[in-house]
Amino acid sequence: MNAIILSALCGVVMMFSGILLKNKSAIKYVAIAALLVLIIGNLFQFYGIYTIDIDSKGLLSFDRTGLFFNTIIFVATLAYFILSGSDIERAGPDVAEYFALIFFVLCGVTILTSFNGLLMFFIGIEILSIPLYILTGSDKKNLKSNEASLKYFLMGSFSTGILLMGITLIYGATGSFGLQSTTIKSAVTGFSSAGILAPVGLVLLFISMCFKVSAAPFHFWAPDVYDGAPSVFTSFMATIVKAAGFFAFIKLFAAKSEDFGPGPAWKLILFVIIVATLFIGNITAVFQQSVKRMLAYSSIAQAGFMLFALYSTNDFTKDGILLYTAAYSFATIGIFSILTKMEDYSLDGFNGLSKSQPVLAFTNTVFFLSLSGIPLTAGFFAKYYMLASAIKGGGSLSLVIIAVLFAAVSVYYYFKVIQAMYFKEGVAATNTPITGNFKVALIVLAAIIVILGIYPTALLGFYYF
Amino acid sequence: MTWLTLLLDVQDTSAASYLPIAIQLIFAAGFVAAMIGMSALVGPKRQTKDKLETFTSGITTHGDARQPMAIKYFLVAILFVLFDVEVIFFYPYAVNFRSLGWAGFVEVLMFVGFFLIGFTYIIKKGALTWED
Amino acid sequence: MIPLLLILIPVVSAILTFFLKNGNAAKNWALIASTATLIVGLYALCPVCKLEFDATWLPLLGSRFSLSLDGLSKMLVLLTAISFPVVFASTYNNEYKQSNAFYGLMLLTQAGLMGVFLASDCLLFYFFWELALIPVYFLCSIWGGEKRIAVTFKFFVYTFVGSLLMLIGILYLYFQTPDHSFAIKSFYALKLSASQQNLAFWLFFIAFAIKMPIFPLHTWQPDAYEQSPTAVTMILSGVMVKMGIYAVIRWLIPIFPSATVKYADIIIIASVIGMIYASLIAIKQDDVKRLVAYSSIAHIGLMSAVLFSLKTIGWNGVMIQMFNHGINVIGLWIVADAIEQKLGTRKFSELGGLAQKAPVLAILLVVLAFANVALPLTNAFVGEFLMFNGLFQYNFWIAGVAGISIILGAVYTLNMVQKIFYGQTVPATQNALEIKGNVQFVLIILVLVIIGFGVYPQPMIDLTKHIHP
Repeated sequence: MNAIILSALCGVVMMFSGILLKNKSAIKYVAIAALLVLIIGNLFQFYGIYTIDIDSKGLLSFDRTGLFFNTIIFVATLAYFILSGSDIERAGPDVAEYFALIFFVLCGVTILTSFNGLLMFFIGIEILSIPLYILTGSDKKNLKSNEASLKYFLMGSFSTGILLMGITLIYGATGSFGLQSTTIKSAVTGFSSAGILAPVGLVLLFISMCFKVSAAPFHFWAPDVYDGAPSVFTSFMATIVKAAGFFAFIKLFAAKSEDFGPGPAWKLILFVIIVATLFIGNITAVFQQSVKRMLAYSSIAQAGFMLFALYSTNDFTKDGILLYTAAYSFATIGIFSILTKMEDYSLDGFNGLSKSQPVLAFTNTVFFLSLSGIPLTAGFFAKYYMLASAIKGGGSLSLVIIAVLFAAVSVYYYFKVIQAMYFKEGVAATNTPITGNFKVALIVLAAIIVILGIYPTALLGFYYF
Repeated sequence: MTWLTLLLDVQDTSAASYLPIAIQLIFAAGFVAAMIGMSALVGPKRQTKDKLETFTSGITTHGDARQPMAIKYFLVAILFVLFDVEVIFFYPYAVNFRSLGWAGFVEVLMFVGFFLIGFTYIIKKGALTWED
Repeated sequence: MIPLLLILIPVVSAILTFFLKNGNAAKNWALIASTATLIVGLYALCPVCKLEFDATWLPLLGSRFSLSLDGLSKMLVLLTAISFPVVFASTYNNEYKQSNAFYGLMLLTQAGLMGVFLASDCLLFYFFWELALIPVYFLCSIWGGEKRIAVTFKFFVYTFVGSLLMLIGILYLYFQTPDHSFAIKSFYALKLSASQQNLAFWLFFIAFAIKMPIFPLHTWQPDAYEQSPTAVTMILSGVMVKMGIYAVIRWLIPIFPSATVKYADIIIIASVIGMIYASLIAIKQDDVKRLVAYSSIAHIGLMSAVLFSLKTIGWNGVMIQMFNHGINVIGLWIVADAIEQKLGTRKFSELGGLAQKAPVLAILLVVLAFANVALPLTNAFVGEFLMFNGLFQYNFWIAGVAGISIILGAVYTLNMVQKIFYGQTVPATQNALEIKGNVQFVLIILVLVIIGFGVYPQPMIDLTKHIHP
């Protein structure tokens, strides 16, 4: 509850900071301070020390996983503010509003990690989505940004409509907004008790969530939106928002994994979706010349891996999604923060970065290695957990092998950037001077990724002990 | 599922129980379609030049109907709609005023507080200043 | 503690090397660090020291940071420990741009290799397996030849696909263990059904086969050897390919005994085809580096065929040959590098009569060439003799076909010696100079090792005699 209330309040504070503070650069520090308060508030609840407690009549329920996920998301946002704060300032005139909108998104995230019924789930999804439509279009003079915003809004609205239809049908069939596993189970495995309505509702729910997390074949909006949005906000959307979407997706469909016995048909649907997502994301990313667009497709590909958590619901899933969120978000935030500093977003724009900016090139390499899932980086354990959960689920070795082959494909395009930075001659130009603070922040982020790669217990230890 | 089913008194949740609703929907849509289609087919048509002109109380039309309008108008209009919709929340409160008691009063005060914060925000942002 | 030191010294010194601004300082520091590792490696040969290390690493996953040194590990650890100072010393005169990064990455590679040979926890093994690959990728891509980027990337993707398949295999086995552990003991204790073995066997074997490499998965190798800087090629062919063979002995055959027996024929036939194929191609080569690369494929093919023939005597040969092949091939690379550095070409067609100008080099090369064709009194003879002995026990015809490759090996090796060193001097070799100093010193030491173990191979046989299928 702390996080929900504080994040909304922080958003309001940010709204007014734009009016009260004349100095634009001070806004960033207010945002960082507000985020720190948010993190501390959330940790208080995590350790059960002091919490604001409002009776939500069973609409919300807080568990350790959700609160821990909140913490990861907030820390990732903190890294995002520190690394990309100055880019947010350059994104447009309404700096305070951008920060406020980001806090509102965080509010949506906190609801999505604690919903206890379809109603709150829907509200969370909406609070999460609406600020994003605005952020996507924040570059008002840029036609691509406008197009992306409109496209995102229309597609988002449709998927919300589908979501609502699904919720309606499930409510109609079961008479409840509850997340009880029996509800889902009867809907999935048997067509007898609840008739045809609940399965159809569940499929609609599933489709709309696939849309939100950009799983194929509902991914078409993602590249255009990620490419059109200002890069700073793409970074936020592709990492934090996406991870939260996944968390909600998994929470919704695997609410109680021990009772949840997905039928074979369900597994088949997921199998097809995972393979399609991996295929489209990876193969299309190979052909991109713009690093930004490549990252957009790679985020689809990474979504394919995160869907593993849905495919097999066991004790690895929870750790896996937590670790994946941390590994993927930290790395992608780092990459985008470097990308927004580059003059040229194409692959050739990175040529020779190791000569002109060795620190940027080195940390960027660590981030890309992490995305590829190379050992000694956090990305390895993220992928490891996902594969382990699928193998433990049993009978899905073929899916795992397909995923692994696509992981090898992903190495191809991730390494293209590394090749450009280290092995090719050129003068990679940055559009702003790189400050020492930025470099230090990058190094800290890279260090976190490496530490998680050597000793993931550092992260999961907090969760378990 | 069971306890909520009992709570909401939903006995029959099968698709078949929705059949009457489906019939009603089909009937409603069919009726509208039939009426429009019939009047288009059966009704008499006599088209003259005068008849196709825009009717403006007998005054001859001149100029374009699409006049440029200040963007501020839309801003004010949308803000009006926003606040107007929020006012709707007061109706249920007014109806249940007595039964909700002090707790309800505090909650509504909070609601009004948020309301005012938003209002202050748009004033401070200059969204309501008509002149530049 | 000793196993840990073998990894820690290279890692720590690698990190320090990255921060050395002065190129020469980095070079000297790398030489000192690798020599220190060598001393520890030699100390590890003593029979009384404690050769195990165990610490908690990932309690949630059931993986421990456990290292151990047995005879097989000792052999390869020793090879790794010897190779790096040899490589550093012999290429001492080469100048690299950003040499601190070069030497740092080399030392990291050493750490990875040491880890692979020491790990007795499967996840840890996988970690080091990858750790050995990443620095090599950067080494080849930054300091390699003209086509380096594409070639190295091919190498990287090949091995990466293999390792990922192995990871699946590891996870699959992990979930079969009753106590959910990655320890080698738990893996050995597994009672897998035939179908489980058949599946997981290939997941593991493809990774190892790519690394060795075994026909038809070898296509990355000649290009990678040719394009890599010579120092890296030495490590690649001298030590790194042994990772595959080591892994088959340690992690494949003991875990999947019945699958091994089932698929042994296929693998042996592929290996033998690879031997003949590589030897035939080697005959047609005009480039020293490519010739040595193909000759290396042929040697590794023989080792793999013998491994899967599962005969004790053959295995003893493989153990010895792993070490000896490393020494010999590094020697050959040193000669190739010396020629390229002095004359600026590696093509036979542009060379000739070098023996008149550089007699010492010629003598040393002839010894190395004899070792490469496994003539008696060179170290390779003992190994190859034992290996063929094993292969004959397995199947007469296969051994016979494999024997052809020895003849072919003699053809191309001696052909190379003749074309480069004898005959008329050509313009390129007109002003050639004798090798001096460090290169000469290192080559003489290697040749002494070759002859020494050729005459008295007993210590090596003793070291690994307890290992048998």
